[in-house]
Amino acid sequence: MPVKATTGPAISISALDKSFGPVKALDRLDLTVAAGEVHGFLGPNGSGKTTTIRILLGLLRADAGEVTMLGRDPWRDAVALHGRLAYVPGDVTLWPGITGGEVIDFLGRMRGGYDRRRRDRLLEMFDLDPAKKARAYSKGNRQKVALVAALASDAELLLLDEPTSGLDPLMESAFQQCVQQVRREGRTVLLSSHILAEVEALCDRVSIIRLGHRVETGTLSELRHLTRTSISVETVEPLTGLTALPGVHDAVLEDHHARFDVDTAQLGDVMRRLAPLGVRSLTSTPPTLEEMFLRHYGDEAATS
Amino acid sequence: MTGTARLLRFLLRRERIGLPWWLLGATLLLLVQSTQSQSLYDTPEALADLRRTIGGNTAVIAMSGPTELLRTIGGEVVFEIFAFVAIVVALMAMFLVGRHTRGDEEAGRAELIRSARIGRRAPLAAALALAGLASLAAGVLVFAAAVGTGLPAGGSVLLGAAVTSAGVTFAALTAVAAQLFENVRAVYGAVGFTLGAAYALRAAGDAGNSALSWLSPIGWGQRTFPYAGDRWWPLLIPLAVTAALVMLAASLLERRDFGAGFVPSRPGRPVATRALGNAFGLAWRLQRTAAAGWVLGLGLLGLAYGSVADSIEQYVADNPEIAEFMPGGGQRILDAYLALTVALSALIAAAYGVTTVLRARAEENAGRAEPVLATRTSRLAWLAGHLSVTLAGTTLALVAIGAGTGLAYALTVSDMGEVPRLIGAALAYLPAVLLIAAVAVLTVGWLPRAAAALSWIAVGYCAVVALFADSFDLPEWAQRASPFEHTPEVPLETLTLVPLVVLALLAAAFAAVGYAGLRRRDIGV
Repeated sequence: MPVKATTGPAISISALDKSFGPVKALDRLDLTVAAGEVHGFLGPNGSGKTTTIRILLGLLRADAGEVTMLGRDPWRDAVALHGRLAYVPGDVTLWPGITGGEVIDFLGRMRGGYDRRRRDRLLEMFDLDPAKKARAYSKGNRQKVALVAALASDAELLLLDEPTSGLDPLMESAFQQCVQQVRREGRTVLLSSHILAEVEALCDRVSIIRLGHRVETGTLSELRHLTRTSISVETVEPLTGLTALPGVHDAVLEDHHARFDVDTAQLGDVMRRLAPLGVRSLTSTPPTLEEMFLRHYGDEAATS
Repeated sequence: MTGTARLLRFLLRRERIGLPWWLLGATLLLLVQSTQSQSLYDTPEALADLRRTIGGNTAVIAMSGPTELLRTIGGEVVFEIFAFVAIVVALMAMFLVGRHTRGDEEAGRAELIRSARIGRRAPLAAALALAGLASLAAGVLVFAAAVGTGLPAGGSVLLGAAVTSAGVTFAALTAVAAQLFENVRAVYGAVGFTLGAAYALRAAGDAGNSALSWLSPIGWGQRTFPYAGDRWWPLLIPLAVTAALVMLAASLLERRDFGAGFVPSRPGRPVATRALGNAFGLAWRLQRTAAAGWVLGLGLLGLAYGSVADSIEQYVADNPEIAEFMPGGGQRILDAYLALTVALSALIAAAYGVTTVLRARAEENAGRAEPVLATRTSRLAWLAGHLSVTLAGTTLALVAIGAGTGLAYALTVSDMGEVPRLIGAALAYLPAVLLIAAVAVLTVGWLPRAAAALSWIAVGYCAVVALFADSFDLPEWAQRASPFEHTPEVPLETLTLVPLVVLALLAAAFAAVGYAGLRRRDIGV
């Protein structure tokens, strides 16, 4: 698959503001997506993910800030840019009287090129009947129509807004295969999602957005570094003084047994402290994105 | 049937906004016709003249009803308006039943309701009860309007009952169609077709072999002859038919799965044709059915107007009061009549033009503009796709008006030269029609949320000026604000180009400014 070489990041957003009347949807948002990566865009409903994508599509106008996509301005050069990207909306509405197959062909032609053979293969993969009128499709099937249309294109950038929210696990796995194929071809994907397992499986890097502002960004391992590991340990000597150590949280202590969370940065110090006590058994659970996510939004729930 | 009563209360609540308008429409039709007829044919001689003129005019009979009704003034009112009141009430019943049975089932709302402590037949029973109550209300209101305008009470009761029976019959028919078809559009299509056939059958029956009228639910009502014989027994037919249809619907309901029908929806094309490859192709695909409907409808309206043109001079001679309503004070009755009907039809064409523009806004509102504008389609191309339907659609609609009027008139006077003459007269309204559509573009560009309301106000304003300028004594400037007032009333007046060119330029300017707004604003607001 020939892909046009793009110098610099595929998407670069800095200090982006967007308000709808009194509601501030985006508040000095920063986001960088490198060319050729699958970038996870995480946040709960209403945090500004869809607004960001609509600005990238040139459908909404930024109030302030810098936005560049594939080296160009998404508002001014919308039409030229649209020839190089494919988009799957979060809430897919289709024309009731037009069949799924027709919509896929139509969108493919309007994007300026798609692969007919790949289209037919995708239809089979997603088990979608292209001869049904859109009014007869379920939510999941409407989502599949938009997905097949986007994945059949040769676009160098895919903007996917919660593309799997209506899919069953089988289709979810078909989707993951497709995205991995896209990554192998060196194309770029911005994947907005709140399905954390999907993001962990697919994404090279992740940005987390909250109230229209980015709160974290980095590779999954970088982000894990900022989080806590859960430890369950049994020792020969009685456990003492563990709670006083920096970085240890939520400890539950018995004589020879303890369960606690530790900041990943302090993990080494805590291990050195445990070793002399004679470790009989130790299990550690690495932090998941989910814990990190809950911690960010849990804080919000606690403070509000 | 558990829960029917509670469900019915819920349906009444859901319909509290829309239903009164249907009832008002049906009542007004009768009210206006009754007042007008009684003031025009206020003497037995006038009525006798009318009987003579109309008794020999097949076109008028086919449009209205059986001539037996023309024996009294009340019968004359029924003759002219019953078919249309029946159509309004039948459509009301169709939408009520369709929406709350198959419509809800298709949208998934019925699933929520049926999962509650509600019997399987309750939604159907509640929808039928709702349509029955609404039809009864229509009958009572029509009765009140008839009595209120001085018609005899006995015939008025029969008239009201006939109106109710038409509504109930079509409610039951819709209930059956809702079991057969899987989507509500197909239900409306089938029932709408039957309604059209009912009108056509009674037209053929009243104008020729009256046996055909007895096949039509509209014919059954007309042949009770209110005020002109008052016979009740024809209402036994709709009563029996309704009972049979309701039983059929109930038994079909027992034999099908939720969400399923007996006529499977036809599959469509698995692959798009070449035509569906750009914004123009999409706009035409979305709007072609509606375009065909409007063009056909306006052509038929033209045919109806044109077919009575030949007898208009005799009619005005019999009823000199009519001349006051004619432009030009009734000097050249025929041309004045043709100019008036073309102008009124052009107003309908303007309404159609506005719907084509508002379709673009509806697409945006439904979130369907977003995937298109996320492709290489520019906002200009997207808007131009819809506006190409506006331009070609309204042009075709005007041609249909002129061709219909011209053809029907040409056939009665054996002069085919009338066809191009009236097409030309209708096309003179194109700049005015486009200007109204361009007002809609302007609002879509700059005030998208108010676009529908503002555009319809513009259409309504032009209609008020055209129909009631004299009766309301509107000041000169207020009349001049309507572009239709600047269009020469061909064929009564001669065609002058300057106002037409000015209107066309204004339309282009409004559309351009509207596009400038669309280009600047957020999509999907």
